[in-house]
Amino acid sequence: MPDPLLSLADIRAGYGAGIVLEDVTFDLPESGSLAVLGRNGVGKSTLILTIMGMTHIGRGRIVWRGEDITAYPPHRRARAGIGWVAQEREIFSNLTVEENLTVASRQGRWDLPSVYDLFPRLAERRRHLGNQLSGGEQQMLAIARALMTNPALLLLDEPLEGLAPIVVEELAAAVRRMTGEAAGAFILVEQHADIALSLTQSVIVLERGRIVHSGPSAGLLADHAAMDRLIGLRLAEA
Amino acid sequence: MSALLGMLFDGVAYGMLLFLMSVGLSVTLGMMNFVNLAHCSFAMLGGYLAVTLMNGWGWPFFATLPVAFVAAAVASIVLERLFFRRFYNAGDLPQCLLTIGIVFVSIAGAAYIYGTDQQPVHLPDYLNGSIAFHGMEFAVYRLFLIATAALVTLVLAVGVEKTRFGAQVRAAVNNQRMARGLGIDVDTLFAVTFALGGGLAGLGGALAINMLGLDPSFALTYVIYVLIVVSIGGLGSIAGTFAAAMLLGIADVAGKYYIPALGSVLIYLVMLTMIMWRPTGLFGRR
Ligand SMILES: Nc1ncnc2c1ncn2[C@@H]1O[C@H](COP(=O)(O)OP(=O)(O)OP(=O)(O)O)[C@@H](O)[C@H]1O
Ligand SMILES: [Mg+2]
Repeated sequence: MPDPLLSLADIRAGYGAGIVLEDVTFDLPESGSLAVLGRNGVGKSTLILTIMGMTHIGRGRIVWRGEDITAYPPHRRARAGIGWVAQEREIFSNLTVEENLTVASRQGRWDLPSVYDLFPRLAERRRHLGNQLSGGEQQMLAIARALMTNPALLLLDEPLEGLAPIVVEELAAAVRRMTGEAAGAFILVEQHADIALSLTQSVIVLERGRIVHSGPSAGLLADHAAMDRLIGLRLAEA
Repeated sequence: MSALLGMLFDGVAYGMLLFLMSVGLSVTLGMMNFVNLAHCSFAMLGGYLAVTLMNGWGWPFFATLPVAFVAAAVASIVLERLFFRRFYNAGDLPQCLLTIGIVFVSIAGAAYIYGTDQQPVHLPDYLNGSIAFHGMEFAVYRLFLIATAALVTLVLAVGVEKTRFGAQVRAAVNNQRMARGLGIDVDTLFAVTFALGGGLAGLGGALAINMLGLDPSFALTYVIYVLIVVSIGGLGSIAGTFAAAMLLGIADVAGKYYIPALGSVLIYLVMLTMIMWRPTGLFGRR
């Protein structure tokens, strides 16, 4: 059995003295994909930030390709191959689209031509400043910017949040294409549970900072009763 | 007409000096939110070093300029590593107290070594005197000052706007957390930026002696002007800092020339007006 790409063991994490995550344990294999579901405020973003090294980790270990990275600062994790698409997008508003893409890029499969091919709209706006983009374009840019660092693992924090349905479809198609082609691992936090489950191999559901369900995505997608119990309203919306 | 032009000329020369001494503070304040009131102590260091090398060691004026730059850069990086970085998350007040302490230490140190008199400088002959042009006199030194500062500004602008290093600095000023999350080593980036900013201040200090004079109060007197430039220009904006430095340089010279009764009060009025009109600075974004 090879080392998992990423493994979290018994993680307790939060902000300062406040604990948000407790007892979080899971493994992600190379090229694996994981959906993270749960209601608002249960700690999904905190989990992503913890993997990036931006929370206070009180207990447990994070291991990346066999190396303990629990104490690594964020930039070293990014350089080790973890790419981050923040929930708030956090585009550099004073940089052009193209500068946003190249400012931290690293060699690999993804480069300007290939991300412009994935998101043609970004190519049209390459000279625009980050703050001149629509919400959907900002989201495309946030994803493309993370891809340009050529990560082995991509963390996507609600990439479809707050977008018009038509843009959601466009982005979901791009994510599908990107994850299908690139064979990299990814973790997807998403309110659209059906989309997230159809894109991933396995799923964890968080409830007040703890994992209350974990298993294959297909299994949960088929189990309407469990879906309803675990994420409630969300399914009715979708 | 010629009086107006002459005044503009002096104002631009003064503004160029202010720009060199301010730009580093603007960028580092924007990037790390670190309030470095000791910024002009680096300028003063450059000034005294130039004086010592010229008067004590017989160095030519030009040779002292790069040394002033490098020495101030090294001094700022040493202070950054030793003290400042421990205070990045400490809030404004502790930062002010720490750096104002450094200002007073630098003033006392300079007074101990050099006394409190103005330092004499002996410029090479070709930098003294003036050039007549259409019936007007332009001081050669100020022409040289403007040319040097314009060149530095150009290099800086290209460096910041066109290089990857510059883009990383701008990204870190805009959103430090995201910059880190993409793999940018913001701490190292900041240390380098800090050194460059301190170095430019040191260069400005060496260039300033002939125009502003040099005594131990320099570190305190001019940090006021620098803070005004930074607050008008907007944090982290090089173009804003440049425009603000020019505005302030010209306003100060014009004020002393046309309304001597107002004296140096005029620049504070300019600052108040600008801050009320544009609270985030000329090109400010926040
Ligand atoms: N920077 C912070 N400092 C302190 N507490 C925080 C911070 N960010 C989030 N929290 C708290 O941590 C808990 C989990 O927040 P988190 O953002 O991880 O939830 P989430 O599952 O991502 O929610 P959403 O679906 O709304 O994005 C919340 O109670 C929130 O108030
Ligand atoms: Mg969230």
